[in-house]
Amino acid sequence: MSEETPGRLHHGLRARILELRVTLWTLIVPPTVWAVHFLFCYLWVAISCAKMGGFPRFPTAFVAGTAAAIAVILASGVIAWVQARRPGDPPPHDQSTDTDRTRFLAVATLLLAALSAVGVAFTAAPALMLTDCR
Amino acid sequence: MKAGPQSAFATFGAEAEYLARLTWWMVGGAVVIAAVVAAMFVVAIRSPEGAIGDRGGRRLLMIAGGLVPTIVLFALLVTTLPAMRPIRAEAGDLRVRVTGEQFWWRVRYQPAGAAAVETANEVRVPVGRTTVFDLAAGDVLHSFWIPGLAGKVDMVPGRTNRLVVRATRAGRFRGQCAEFCGLSHALMAFDVVAMEPAAFDAWLAARRAPPAVVADAGMRAFDAHGCAACHRVAGTRFAGQIGPDLSHLAARATLGAGIRPMTRANLIRFTRAAPDVKPGARMPAYDDMTDADAVAIARWLETLK
Amino acid sequence: MSLHAQDDPQLRAAQEERLRATWKPPQGLFLRWTDTNNNRVGVWYTLTAFGFMLFAGVLALIMRTQLAVPDNDLVSANGFNQLFTLHGSMMMFLFAVPMFEAVSIILLPQLLGARDLPFPRLSAFGYWSFLIGGVFVSGSIFFNAAPDGGWFMYPPFTTRTDLSGLGADIWMLGLSFIEVSSVAAAVELIVGVLKCRPPGMRLNLMPLYAWYILVVAVMILFAFPPLIAGDILFELERLLGWSFFDPAKGGDPILWQHLFWIFGHPEVYIVFLPSIALFAMIVPTFARRHLLGYPWIVLAAVGTAFLSFGLWVHHMFTTGLPKISLAFFSAASEAVAIPTGIQIFAFIATLWAGRVVWSVPLLYAVGSIAIFVIGGLTGVMVAIAPFDWQAHDTYFVVAHLHYVLIGGTLIPLFGGLYYYWPLITGKKLSDRIGRTAFWFLFAGANLTFFPMHFSGLMGMPRRVFTYPSELGVDGFNLASTIGAYVFAAGVLLVCIDLALSPRRAKAERNPWAAGTLEWLAHPDDEDWGIRSVPLIESRYPIWDQKDFVRKVDEGRFFLPDAEEGRRETIVTTVLDARPLQVLRLGGPSWKPMATAVALGSVFILTTYHLYWWSLVGAVATLAMVLWWLWSGTAEIPEKDEKPIGHGMTLPLYLSGPSASGWWAMFITMMADATAFSGLVFGYFFFWTRHEDFPPSGVGMDGPGAFWPMVALGVSLASWAATVAAREVHARGGVSAARALLAAGALLSLAAVGAGLAGPWTTGLEPKLHVYPAIVWTLAIWTSAHSGVGAICQLYALARSLAGRTTPRHDADVRNITVYHHFLAITAIVTYLTIGLFPGLA
Repeated sequence: MSEETPGRLHHGLRARILELRVTLWTLIVPPTVWAVHFLFCYLWVAISCAKMGGFPRFPTAFVAGTAAAIAVILASGVIAWVQARRPGDPPPHDQSTDTDRTRFLAVATLLLAALSAVGVAFTAAPALMLTDCR
Repeated sequence: MKAGPQSAFATFGAEAEYLARLTWWMVGGAVVIAAVVAAMFVVAIRSPEGAIGDRGGRRLLMIAGGLVPTIVLFALLVTTLPAMRPIRAEAGDLRVRVTGEQFWWRVRYQPAGAAAVETANEVRVPVGRTTVFDLAAGDVLHSFWIPGLAGKVDMVPGRTNRLVVRATRAGRFRGQCAEFCGLSHALMAFDVVAMEPAAFDAWLAARRAPPAVVADAGMRAFDAHGCAACHRVAGTRFAGQIGPDLSHLAARATLGAGIRPMTRANLIRFTRAAPDVKPGARMPAYDDMTDADAVAIARWLETLK
Repeated sequence: MSLHAQDDPQLRAAQEERLRATWKPPQGLFLRWTDTNNNRVGVWYTLTAFGFMLFAGVLALIMRTQLAVPDNDLVSANGFNQLFTLHGSMMMFLFAVPMFEAVSIILLPQLLGARDLPFPRLSAFGYWSFLIGGVFVSGSIFFNAAPDGGWFMYPPFTTRTDLSGLGADIWMLGLSFIEVSSVAAAVELIVGVLKCRPPGMRLNLMPLYAWYILVVAVMILFAFPPLIAGDILFELERLLGWSFFDPAKGGDPILWQHLFWIFGHPEVYIVFLPSIALFAMIVPTFARRHLLGYPWIVLAAVGTAFLSFGLWVHHMFTTGLPKISLAFFSAASEAVAIPTGIQIFAFIATLWAGRVVWSVPLLYAVGSIAIFVIGGLTGVMVAIAPFDWQAHDTYFVVAHLHYVLIGGTLIPLFGGLYYYWPLITGKKLSDRIGRTAFWFLFAGANLTFFPMHFSGLMGMPRRVFTYPSELGVDGFNLASTIGAYVFAAGVLLVCIDLALSPRRAKAERNPWAAGTLEWLAHPDDEDWGIRSVPLIESRYPIWDQKDFVRKVDEGRFFLPDAEEGRRETIVTTVLDARPLQVLRLGGPSWKPMATAVALGSVFILTTYHLYWWSLVGAVATLAMVLWWLWSGTAEIPEKDEKPIGHGMTLPLYLSGPSASGWWAMFITMMADATAFSGLVFGYFFFWTRHEDFPPSGVGMDGPGAFWPMVALGVSLASWAATVAAREVHARGGVSAARALLAAGALLSLAAVGAGLAGPWTTGLEPKLHVYPAIVWTLAIWTSAHSGVGAICQLYALARSLAGRTTPRHDADVRNITVYHHFLAITAIVTYLTIGLFPGLA
């Protein structure tokens, strides 16, 4: 099946991804990562300001947390991308088949990953521009 | 649309001026977006079946629904974030501690290197200098808002919030409590006067001296009715702390926290029937106060300049 | 396919007779109210919520009349504060959220081709709770005792008993009761969407309304419990003098604002998304095509749900928090506009691609989107924190929120009313009156709220009972007042149209020629819901599936009969809707109503400080719940399975993760865990607020590490006993399982004692300081849960002894194990926090 959509990904990896289960739980992975990252930012500020008296010059924890969040969202987006392109009719995926259900969930996950990545970028922007606890 | 003394468009402070500009820019953008969306609805409803196909529809969705809003919103966020940085205050700046009480304002000026001045229900700021407000609450939540000067900051029991402002022109303005605080929340305003720096310094120095107090029948009535239990008048032994400081009451433009002009009739009415004028205020009614006493007290208060 | 059987009209008539008898509503003056059928309960629910909306609308008219001219004295300050508090509280708690749930209770089974929701009695319980709580709260204004602290109830104004009277307790306790019913309805709707879809309706074929119900109900599940946690702290402070919000004792009023708005902001989307859901049904019908961008809509719904939990501090931009914290919330508040925009453009694209048939419901949909867009744009403005510092708590925000709620909730609901009225009553409403009413509503809303943008920025704060002429806002206010009456005239016209409806003739079936499943409804509908549960192969089966309506009507799909005279519906799998079980549903019963009365008495009696009586009420509630569960759930069927047609046979009993009851327990415990996390948030919030937390001193040193560790050990042992009981029970070890359950119950009771022993033996005094108060609260919460855990274990034991639970039919054991999983997590978090964190900190 990899002949139809030759991706840059290694074939073995693609095949593995195509075997992954797609469920309601995988659908909410990207926004959950956004939520965790958001909570992390909030707690990082609250604890830094209330308990440490300010931020370090280079916010290592913040950068690491944001990079991790982006990485997970990206991974779930790539998985969804591959799964959404499994062979079948063009969208809308509205047949009562396993393939269409999977492709629909994958498309929705992909879109959510995009939104979540934007959300993380939005959330991270303030930390670059405001650097004290006032 | 004539802007009143409490309008966010009648600005006299650096922050408020920026916000007024920002408001108009955002309103302009909003009008354009609303018009475009409305036009698209009209076109969409009137166009024949299949005017766009599934692919075209999805492209519209992705570009107009996804990409464009993301870019516009991100640009808006990034351009306005710097405005969140407060004005930097220096150690020598004038500090004014304002405490919200039900339903009036305790105001204490603390200039660097001079004695503090205590007053109430009127806030004066020097033009061109940085002023730091330390905002506190005595009983419940209040919010300190002078729309022409800057945005509002809440007064929270147990916390001291800070607002740093810089007035840009002189004039008389008005501020009001913006956080619901009880029965007379609507009646909790104050006068704001922005003054040229020299005039401000002179005024503050004058306030530091007690008023010329005349010991007359009005003062005796004031004492007899127990007014001193709550009110302080500098230069007398009246030193109550519960209600507003009356030291230079007659020099203020309004009475009852910015709700009535400072006239004798209003003074008499407030003295005798404060709960009618200001529901929920802690000042009781003096139903048994004689007319003569009420007039005498009002006259005496009028001498406190 | 063995369709031949259904060719026989006599057979069909006999089936219909049996279905009719099975679904016959109870008759009689009292008994008719014991009905649990979703059609009836949903209609009561809707009418009640509609009534509360009219009531709250009248309150708003009185306010607008007071504010028509400056310095008016029509209403006193005290009266005005009650009016705006009750207006906001009722519109949110008694109208917007219940209305969504009510409408969904009516529509969901029809959308899913189910006979009823999975827990009809739970719906009835939710309704009766709602009615009792709603009448209690709204009736208080007639006794001049209505809450007067604003719908946000900010302490310390509201926690100081010298400043706010009974009204605050009525708000807290009355609305807590309603929050319970909202969560109950959310559980019902989630399980309905996930488990009661018709065969073949995979996730990618679900009607979008069902997607939205799922999303919104999950939001309710996570949004309401923090408020319930806040209510608990609030009442502990008001009634018992424990300190949480009083700074003199280490409390902080800001904690309440956090807990309230963690609820309050998702709430806005909870009441807005259902309207988008209605549009998602209306727009395709009148565009005569499938909705374009189905996964985009799902993205938008799910994305909005998540983002909406990252917005709450934008109600607290002026509280003096660090600017960088505010900026995070400002950023998320901007980001949430993206999915909202996507939904609107999905409708534009659908209309563009389709052949639009103009109609009254579409007029309402498009008109309300126009209003909503204005509210959304001002929402983007107030999400910019510096702008909000001006606009916050002024009439600008009043304008913004009413544009959002009128454009995003109220007018869409009227549109939904015009669209779905034929479905519910079989009759159409008048197009002419509907159109006229729309223009009154549209003009009225704009005339009322547009000028408020100006009055707000010109210095008029919210919640003022009067304003002086010098502000220069007299003209704007007069315009707003006139607009309010124009709007009211529009509402009155809708009411007149509704009142005329009984005199009108029945409409044809599916009068809008829609394609979705709910339009199978027949004007002369029977109470059984759907004649046979269809096999779904399309998102718009009426349009796409050949002979669909006829096949359903002739019972040619599944479950066309009620052979045993039992109310039944089909349970399917979550992802692909593969049939799993024929679920026996609860029929008419007075127990839900009685349980609601008992539970209501607990809240209402506590309001009046009648603590002993409310304890009696609590015991009665517990007894009623147990009796209800005992007599009405996890019943062992008379046979293992039954045929549903087409050669398919389904079991009548399921337990574990595929059963609806298991899901209900799981979902309820998610809500419970969320409330608990609100309390834990409180503990750590106070830690960040204090240099010395825990403080030291008499009454503040505790609870030590010993007792919390004992409590943790015993709790985990009880959990292990429960899990072991489930395992050995499933393998046939009935007596071993019974012994384990009995041991588990003893361990749970020991956990109650050990949990309370920590703060008790160290003499923590909760009236002294926030630290002992929050430790006691966590200990009591967890101990109470251990107590309920013991009841659960004893219940399962008793069921086993009574022969109502067997290794083959073990839903009870499995469901209480879910409870104990959550209990174990609660115990771990609580006892590690109160026992070990002081040592770390």
